[in-house]
Amino acid sequence: MSTSAAQLTLPRNGAQHRGGAIEIQSVSYCYPGADASALDGVTLRVDPGERLGILGPNGGGKSTLLKLMLGLLPMQGGKISILGMTPGQARRQGVVGYVPQRLEAELGFPLSARQVVELGATWRLPAWKRVSRECRDRVERMIGLVGAAGYADRPIGKLSGGQVQRVLIARALAANPRVLALDEPTVGIDAVGQQKFAELLGTVHREIGLTIVIVSHDLRAIVAGCDRVACLARKLHSHVSPQGLTPQILAELFSHDLAGLRGVIGDVHVHAHASGACSDCGPEDGPARESAELMKGTDGNA
Amino acid sequence: METLEWLRTPELRAVIMPGLVGGLAVVVTCAVLSVLVVLKRLAFVGQGVSHSAFGGIGIAAALGYLGQAAAESSEGGADLSWLVSSAIVLGFCVLSAVGMGLLSDRHGVREDTAIGVFLVASMALGGLLLSYSVRKGKLSGSSGYESILFGQILAVSWPEAYAAIAASVVVLLIVWALRRAMFFWAFDEVSSSAFGVPGRAMKLTMMVLLCIAIVTAMKIVGVVLATALLVLPGATALKVSDRLRPVVAVSTVVGIGGLVIGVVTAIEFGELPPGAAIVLALCVLFALAWVVSAALRRFATN
Repeated sequence: MSTSAAQLTLPRNGAQHRGGAIEIQSVSYCYPGADASALDGVTLRVDPGERLGILGPNGGGKSTLLKLMLGLLPMQGGKISILGMTPGQARRQGVVGYVPQRLEAELGFPLSARQVVELGATWRLPAWKRVSRECRDRVERMIGLVGAAGYADRPIGKLSGGQVQRVLIARALAANPRVLALDEPTVGIDAVGQQKFAELLGTVHREIGLTIVIVSHDLRAIVAGCDRVACLARKLHSHVSPQGLTPQILAELFSHDLAGLRGVIGDVHVHAHASGACSDCGPEDGPARESAELMKGTDGNA
Repeated sequence: METLEWLRTPELRAVIMPGLVGGLAVVVTCAVLSVLVVLKRLAFVGQGVSHSAFGGIGIAAALGYLGQAAAESSEGGADLSWLVSSAIVLGFCVLSAVGMGLLSDRHGVREDTAIGVFLVASMALGGLLLSYSVRKGKLSGSSGYESILFGQILAVSWPEAYAAIAASVVVLLIVWALRRAMFFWAFDEVSSSAFGVPGRAMKLTMMVLLCIAIVTAMKIVGVVLATALLVLPGATALKVSDRLRPVVAVSTVVGIGGLVIGVVTAIEFGELPPGAAIVLALCVLFALAWVVSAALRRFATN
């Protein structure tokens, strides 16, 4: 992809902001009627152009934090600033591009992939205004950037999960955001698709230079495409580079959700299960372990 | 053909034309809305709102704006009671729609339950007030009920037809003006909120548009069958195409076709109620589209 960042982005409100792209200070949130808070005093800063992964177990407050950042939930305690704006202001100005888990959209809709991408770019246009050439070009560039040109005219409901995901990323980018937020982007996608997804995010980051926030419970999705990782399980456990994820941090983070966790972080192999026998563990591994097992310098099948 | 006789004879033509012209305006509006109703799964909402109209009709009757009382009060002057009664019914439908929304959004009641509650409450209120109006001599017997429940297209007057055209133009203009945001909201409600689309305003607007369409459709097919105009054309079109513009076009053609076939059938077979004939014609068109699309799919697979 030879298109430069200058060609792909347009100046907009918030572009001159000099602080962190996202600043989260002492944010707490409790859902009405819930016994415990979903978030407790979370403080976090994301620099402009940084790729942050928010990793945590199911129910750890990742999606709640994302919704607060997107202005979809009212603030209860603390403060969130997106390029110097409140989440509500940022949402109204279209500063954040959002990529949902793919099944949230009505895929039976009679729209082609291109029309779905156009929705992100054109919905603010007054009814009497035609879509400009510049806007159409941006839509086409984003479709090309995510590699969806081959199926841009096909109905959205007839695309595979991975293809839909690319289209939704293009839709978010077509809105010309400063921040891209992805919610569980690898759910339901196989290992090959996850690898392609990581490469795609790398391309998007390289070409456009956006600040990217990925929320996931999938270690591989986070590690493959992020500069820093925030470990969240109601509280912020750590905020480190992927290589800084120590076995202790992961064990603590996933202490309530260990089953199925498996992956490779740099040269650290992660292999965890809550209890019971595992076909990958030899008999000498002994009785069921209660915490994550992490082995340095071993391959994924150890 | 009996229908041609109706169209040739001036006296009979004067009876049929206002209903046909007003009906055309109504079915075109409903056909366009029905695409959104089907895709956004608002059929039961439409059912709830249309049945709520029965409560509004009861109030209009009790206040003397329906039936004999209205006719007597307007003797010697222009009869605008139909306009007042329509405004009362529209107001009641809008209040019911807002009530359903508030009950489900803010008070933890499931949406279908909230709709069910308002539906039966409005029907019961309408039944009570109409019965009261009959006993007080404001409304005559059960004939009034029948036209309210199943419509009476051949009793539409020119002023009513003009009002239907005006209401249809307003609804279609609003849909055109909001089309980009509305289709984004309908396609992906959660994501569109994150992009800045005002979801609540979209939902409220859609409810008000449905209420206007239902009140104008009441005279054509009645309270009970008004939902048919808001579901069947769109459902039929979505069986035929998976492209937005063809779907809207086919839906409109199906709506008009159902109206014409229904009215012609009612005239040709004598005393058939036109409202029921229109709805059955729409059902037949839907069944045909379903059979043909299934056959084509099977043919394509083989």
